[in-house]
Amino acid sequence: MGFIKQVFSGIYNLVAGLFVTGKHLGRHAITLQYPKERWEMPERSRGVVVLLSNLETGKLNCTACLLCMKACPTGAIIIDREKNPDTKRWEPTKFVIDNTICAFCGLCEESCNFDAIKLTGKYEFSVFDQAELIYDLDRLAELGRDVKYTPRKKPAAKKKAAQQKPPASAKKPDEKKAEKAEDKPGEEKPEARAAEKPANKPENKAEEKAESKPDEKPEEKPAPKQAEKPVENKEKAEAADNKPEEKKSEKPDEPKQENLDLDKEKDKKDSGN
Amino acid sequence: MDEKELNIEDQERDEQNPVARDLHTEEFLVNMGPQHPSTHGVCRLLLTMDGEVIVKVEPYIGYLHRALEKICENRIYKQITPFMDRFEYVSSMLADWVYALCVERIGEIEISPRAEHLRVIFGELQRIASHLIYWGVLGMDLGAFTPFLYGLREREMIMDLFEETCGQRLTYNYIRVGGVSHDIKPGFEQKCKKFTKYMREVLEDYETLLNENPIFLSRTKDIGIAPPHLSIAYGVSGPSLRASGVKYDVRKDDPYGYYDKFEFDIPCGENYDTWDRYYARVFEMWESTKIIDQALEGLPEGDPTFKMKPSFKLPEGEAYVRIESARGEMGCYIVSKGEKKPYRLKLRGSSFNNLMIIPEISTGLKIADLVAIFASYDIIMPEVDR
Repeated sequence: MGFIKQVFSGIYNLVAGLFVTGKHLGRHAITLQYPKERWEMPERSRGVVVLLSNLETGKLNCTACLLCMKACPTGAIIIDREKNPDTKRWEPTKFVIDNTICAFCGLCEESCNFDAIKLTGKYEFSVFDQAELIYDLDRLAELGRDVKYTPRKKPAAKKKAAQQKPPASAKKPDEKKAEKAEDKPGEEKPEARAAEKPANKPENKAEEKAESKPDEKPEEKPAPKQAEKPVENKEKAEAADNKPEEKKSEKPDEPKQENLDLDKEKDKKDSGN
Repeated sequence: MDEKELNIEDQERDEQNPVARDLHTEEFLVNMGPQHPSTHGVCRLLLTMDGEVIVKVEPYIGYLHRALEKICENRIYKQITPFMDRFEYVSSMLADWVYALCVERIGEIEISPRAEHLRVIFGELQRIASHLIYWGVLGMDLGAFTPFLYGLREREMIMDLFEETCGQRLTYNYIRVGGVSHDIKPGFEQKCKKFTKYMREVLEDYETLLNENPIFLSRTKDIGIAPPHLSIAYGVSGPSLRASGVKYDVRKDDPYGYYDKFEFDIPCGENYDTWDRYYARVFEMWESTKIIDQALEGLPEGDPTFKMKPSFKLPEGEAYVRIESARGEMGCYIVSKGEKKPYRLKLRGSSFNNLMIIPEISTGLKIADLVAIFASYDIIMPEVDR
């Protein structure tokens, strides 16, 4: 009797289980075809750390106050700073984030008072060589170019404006790009790829980013900037008074500072290689 | 009857075959782990076997030891929370909570009612997520693949709720000292209510799939019986203890947060076996959905966040705080000498005690039963080794 009972309960449960799985079979899939489709990351998503630039001038927001370096629980951030003789303000000469030990906890972003460092929704940063995961100032700034954010601290901008009022100079972003493109070694292959790029769909971007950093600078920068500017204008429409001041104050510093940075980092790269 | 028949057969065979009669047998050692998929991490079980029967089980731990307590003693209070996420990464929201509670008790920091409600909501969501992994992995260890897929599918919905609120899917860093890191987003309450409703629907399906399944029953019923006195002697806690017939839950017996304001039941096992330990978790998932609904209904207004300064100094004192984690009693003990860093920080992981009872109750069973028992205790190694 026990055996027969077991058989019947087995059959009953088999049918009941099949009924449940059949019910769930008709539901739509919750997965995505990954390389072709991607999730839209939420606004607060904590991925790769980037350095943000001023939305108008393109200059880094970082004031090298070292707060993020002190807040980091794993010691993944290393900053060297130097006082700019013209502006008498600290500026980062070396800003390294070691993604191999970064815990993506977000404490650096919380400690920052200048909208300078941010954890973004970017998550595809796999590389073949571990050393490439150690991001330097150039790379961090480049990653932060297309990141949208709402500036939160206006007093900081006002202070800057009060301190310095030299004349404005235009065309800086273009100069930067040109310099970078010319100076960086090993560009033959990347250029060929860059030519193909417009035809390619966004699927391939991640692969190319990992392989070739320099080639993306000339092409990718203009697009995000165009996209960003209208947004900024809307946001900043209220505080229209601040705009001209910021422009005046921040632009003149750029060429000198960035040339310095570029040269130094090239030296480092060369020596490292 | 069967045993006697077998013995007679054995005797006859031995008489016929002198080689078998004089055959010398001895026990042998089998290493299970540290890379075995059903040891759920890097736990090495050294089994002494007599044929197919387990004679002795010796757990070897320490493969995941990271000196977490010592690391925390070298960090300021704000920097410790990210490490708590790594202390117990399957239910890291609760690990954050126990640390925050401990610091708050020493420093007598007040928490806003909204933050308390949010903590309960996220803690219970985390408990469901952890039990969903348990449910899926137990099913998969016993040969059923469907539970694993379903369990992780539903867990994904909880991960999405967490991700939109705090930005991460595993190491949240959300429950901080003095509150939480972010307030919830506007549509969160509706999504959460929708989820609990959906969860109750699928829990019925879950029970249909496994509860009465004859294969599941034969693998779990009357296997690995842990009587109440043995469980208490080993310091087992959490759902595993409740399945052993001891009605003890820190949320009820030593309430923390706002748990004394919500109504819920706690399960109590009758047979003390693997099946009871399985069902205790399923029962807790039902109860957790109720708690979430109650906490969402009375969600007060206000600012739940608290910004801790880097120069925060905890007054002199010490405290031990315990909470009911998804696996049992999780504790945190801090000694403060009035500095920026804790003088001593000790963590209690329930998996350690739950692991130590396994050798006792799995002796005399087969390896396949050991897999079921190990899965039913829901042991994760980072909590054991720390």
